Amino acid sequence: MFGESDYSFCYDSEEVSIRIDPLDGFYQYFRKSGDEEIRKVISGKSRKIVVNPVEPVNLPREVTRFLEIHFTPVAIEPDSSEIVYITFPVEIGVFLESKDDFDVLDIFSLSRPKYSLYGSPEEGVITRYHESAVSGTLPEVDRLKEGVIALSISNASRNWVEVSRAVFDCSSLFLYYGHCVSLVARMNILSRDIADVRSEDRPLSDGMKPSVLVIKARKTLISDKIPFMMEFGVGD
Amino acid sequence: MVGPDTVVFGEVTVLDLIVFAISVVIIVIVARIIAIYLKRALSDRMERAELDKLVKVVQAVIILFGIWFALPSFDVDIGQLLVVGGTVGLIIAFASQKIVSNFGSGIFLLIERPVKIGDTIQIGDISGTVNQIRILSTIVKTYEGIYVRIPNEQVFSSDITNFVANPALRFEYTVSIGYGADAGKAVRVIRTLLQEHPFVLKNPAPSIFVSELGDSGVKITIYIWAPSRVWWSVRTELLQKIKEALEHEGIEIPFPQRVVTMAGEKKRETGQGEE
Repeated sequence: MFGESDYSFCYDSEEVSIRIDPLDGFYQYFRKSGDEEIRKVISGKSRKIVVNPVEPVNLPREVTRFLEIHFTPVAIEPDSSEIVYITFPVEIGVFLESKDDFDVLDIFSLSRPKYSLYGSPEEGVITRYHESAVSGTLPEVDRLKEGVIALSISNASRNWVEVSRAVFDCSSLFLYYGHCVSLVARMNILSRDIADVRSEDRPLSDGMKPSVLVIKARKTLISDKIPFMMEFGVGD
Repeated sequence: MVGPDTVVFGEVTVLDLIVFAISVVIIVIVARIIAIYLKRALSDRMERAELDKLVKVVQAVIILFGIWFALPSFDVDIGQLLVVGGTVGLIIAFASQKIVSNFGSGIFLLIERPVKIGDTIQIGDISGTVNQIRILSTIVKTYEGIYVRIPNEQVFSSDITNFVANPALRFEYTVSIGYGADAGKAVRVIRTLLQEHPFVLKNPAPSIFVSELGDSGVKITIYIWAPSRVWWSVRTELLQKIKEALEHEGIEIPFPQRVVTMAGEKKRETGQGEE
C-alpha cells in the first residue's frame, strides 16, 4: 500500500478499500474502511499520490501533538543504556503530490484511537495513548496497524530507574517505512521523574523510505525542535 | 487667508500638517498591505490567534516607526514634544479615566493572560469564545453567535471562568437504574462503553459508582475526564450512548414513581373491617 503512485492506485483488502476513478473530466478518490466511507473529487495534471504512515495524532480529530507509549516496565542500571523495541499505532496519510508540494487528501487508521493525560490536569499534556509489549528483538507487527520504535534508553542518573512509558512530540517525528513502519528514538533519563525524548532522522534498516508527514504537508511552522522533556515521571 | 505657509503653532505650518497627514495615511495603507501579505503567506502555517497577534504587532511597529519618521516634517524638537506630550497625556488621562482604565486593564490582561483568543470562557453573565483581545475591549462571540464587546476594565474586575485553560476537564452524569436491575452489571456496561470512546481519557480513568439509593431508583454517578478542546462534544454524545447501552442490556432506567396504598386496601389486606 505504501509509496508513490499515479491515479491508477488501487488497494483492496478486508479492512480497507481505496481507489481513484475518472469522473466527468476529474477524478474521484474513494475510501472505505469499517463503517466509514469517503469520496473526494480531485483534479491536477501531475496525477501523483503518496500513501504512507503519518504521525498518529490526527484521528478522530487533532487534539494534541503528543504520543504516549505505555509498555512493560524495564529496569535500567545507572550509567548504562539499553535498546528496546516497542510498538506504536499507525495512521495512514494519502497525499496529493505536485512539484514536491504535498496536500493531505485523507487520513485513516485501522487501529482504534485512545487518548490520555500525561501529567496533572493543570500542567500536563493530552497524549495519544498506546500500550505495547517490550522486546529485545524486532517484533512482528501488521505494518498497516502498528509500527516499531527502536528506543535507546540511557540512564544518566545514579539510581536504577524503572521505565514504563515514553512520550514523543509528533511535531518533530521522523517516520520511515519499508518492511515495517519505523521510528528510531532516544530517551535520556536524568532522574526518576525527568527524561528527554527525541526522534532521530534515520531509518531502522537500509532501504526504508522517509514518510511525508502531515505537519510538513500543512507547512505548519514549528517553533522549536528541542526534545520533549518528560517532567512527570517515566514509570507508573 | 490660510495658505500652505500659514503658521499653526510654533514653527509648524499648514503644509507641515498636510505632509504629516499624508505620511500617516500612507503608513497606515502600507501597514495594511503588509498585514494582508503576511496573512496570505502564513495563514496555513500558523494558528489563527497567533497570526492575528503577529500581524497586529507588525502593524503597530510599522505605524509607530512611520509616525516617528514623519515627525521631522514638523521640524519639532522631540525632547520638547515629549514634555508637552506628557503634560497633554496627563490632561487627557484625567479627562478620560474610563478609557485609561480600560487601556490599563488591557495591558494587564495581555501580561497576565487569563484568556487567549479561541478560549471558551465565561465573564460575568457572558459565555462564549474569545474572538479578539483589543487594547480597550475584549470581543466575545457567544454560543448563539452574538458579538459582545466587553470593556477590558469589566473583564479585568470580573470573575473569569476559562473552560479550556487546563488540558483536561472533568464532567459528570448521574444515571438512575431500577431497584430490580443489577447495579454491578450497569457499572460494567458503562465502563466498557467509556473504554471504547477515544476521548474518554485513559488517565485519569473514569470513575463509576453507586452514589445514592434514591426514591425512584439506584443512582449511579459517572466522572469522566476529556480533553478540554472536545469535552463539550464528548459530554453531549455520551449520555445518549449510556442510555442506549443500558437499555440494550435490559437495564431499566426508571421514571419518578411512588407506590400509594389506599387505607381501605390496607384494611382489606390485613383482614380488618371484614365481617
